[in-house]
Amino acid sequence: MPRNLKLALGLLAVAVLIGLISLREMHRRIARLGEMQASEERARHEVLAPPISTPTDVTVKARIFWAAGPDQLAPAEINLPLSADPVQRSRQLVRALLALPPTPAQRTMPADAVLLGFYILPDGTAVADFSDALAAETPSGIVSEQLTVNSLARTLESNVPALRRLKILIHGQEVETLAGNVDLSGFFDLHPPVQSPGTNATPSAPSTPGAGAAASPSGTPPVAALAPAKPPH
Amino acid sequence: MAAPPSPQQVTPPSASTSQPPPQQAAPPSTTAGRPVIVLDAAHGGTDTGARGETGIVEKDMVLQIARTVRAELERQGYRVVMSRNDDSNPSYDERAAMANAYRDAIFISLHIGSTGNPGTVRAFYDQLATPVAPTPVAAAANVKSPAPTASGLPQWEQAQQPYVEASHRVADLIQAQLAQSFSGSPATATPAAVRGLRSVAAPGVAIEISSVSVPSADSLTAAATPLATAIARGIAASRAAGSTGAN
Ligand SMILES: [Zn+2]
Repeated sequence: MPRNLKLALGLLAVAVLIGLISLREMHRRIARLGEMQASEERARHEVLAPPISTPTDVTVKARIFWAAGPDQLAPAEINLPLSADPVQRSRQLVRALLALPPTPAQRTMPADAVLLGFYILPDGTAVADFSDALAAETPSGIVSEQLTVNSLARTLESNVPALRRLKILIHGQEVETLAGNVDLSGFFDLHPPVQSPGTNATPSAPSTPGAGAAASPSGTPPVAALAPAKPPH
Repeated sequence: MAAPPSPQQVTPPSASTSQPPPQQAAPPSTTAGRPVIVLDAAHGGTDTGARGETGIVEKDMVLQIARTVRAELERQGYRVVMSRNDDSNPSYDERAAMANAYRDAIFISLHIGSTGNPGTVRAFYDQLATPVAPTPVAAAANVKSPAPTASGLPQWEQAQQPYVEASHRVADLIQAQLAQSFSGSPATATPAAVRGLRSVAAPGVAIEISSVSVPSADSLTAAATPLATAIARGIAASRAAGSTGAN
């Protein structure tokens, strides 16, 4: 075999070896990337929306409503420092929804969304003003948009007893819909938990009641936790 | 709830002037005594609605399905009016006006969502969002207050309000049928603040198929006929029970 050919083959073998090694490394990196997604989102939020701490913070078991499958929510209790001030407390809860989902699948609000402002009117109306990303990145659909609103409404009402209604703004403006379907022009009713142990505002059982429940629904469907108020008469 | 007012109703077209006896099921193979079904293919034009990774676009797929549903409902003797039959995007109020023009109509808005368990179908009735009160803070935050009413009539924006209970009943009856045809679907209808229903002065139901994320559009087009059957049976059951809320 000519010397040149030997050399070429040798170089080729080395190149293939290097390729295989880096391919394995690449696979490993891709696998790690998935695991890192949640923590990267958290890191991004540390920059975009750093944790809010107030002098009255007390670490409590907060009830946060994460996604549990494609069309329902489930509450989870997490240890969270929460302020005694309802506005700060609400902002801390919204930040948790945005920054702390345990897994990407449990996320209910777009990772890029930022809470720009939060106000509470004297009548208990909460006004939550989000960045454009909330509207632009929530998947369009009645189920998906409702899930997003529900997780916010249920999380706020479960942890901030002073709140009665929720208004969602996008970049300071009232918008017609969240992402083409769910109406954001009105208020969503909030129902603080009744003062008895174990009560919560959301159906915990998945909706597979018997067929033929026509006249009066016996179970609430999974995404039905959203209860915008009816206008007064 | 008492019989709802019908302030938004204008002179109905001649074909829909007959009123059914409230407690009697409609006779088969005739439009007499049956509501006009306003079939709304949601979204359209620049509003694509949901988009799937495989290229399924809600506004197009929902129009295709609506055409099949229309044919099937007409075959069953219903008069059907489409809110759009091309890639236009009528406003929410324009779509609602098509139902509000009839004395006895049912508004059915068809959607395909981004999420949900593939192959399931949900019926929604409107849970109206409370209109925003004109408070100083709301005004400061650019929150619009409701448009003033000219003649003391209930506001167009709240047209669905008197029909919510009727809508709930029809939605439940349709959902019960959907649960039989599309396994995994809920047994009862879901309340939601659906913008497309708010201006409708008639019983109104939004139906969302899951989802644009299915691998192939075939499963969505195949849903059209059973969907039409479920709608027809649900409406027929509501008429039999005299519960559409029409005067
Ligand atoms: Zn839609």
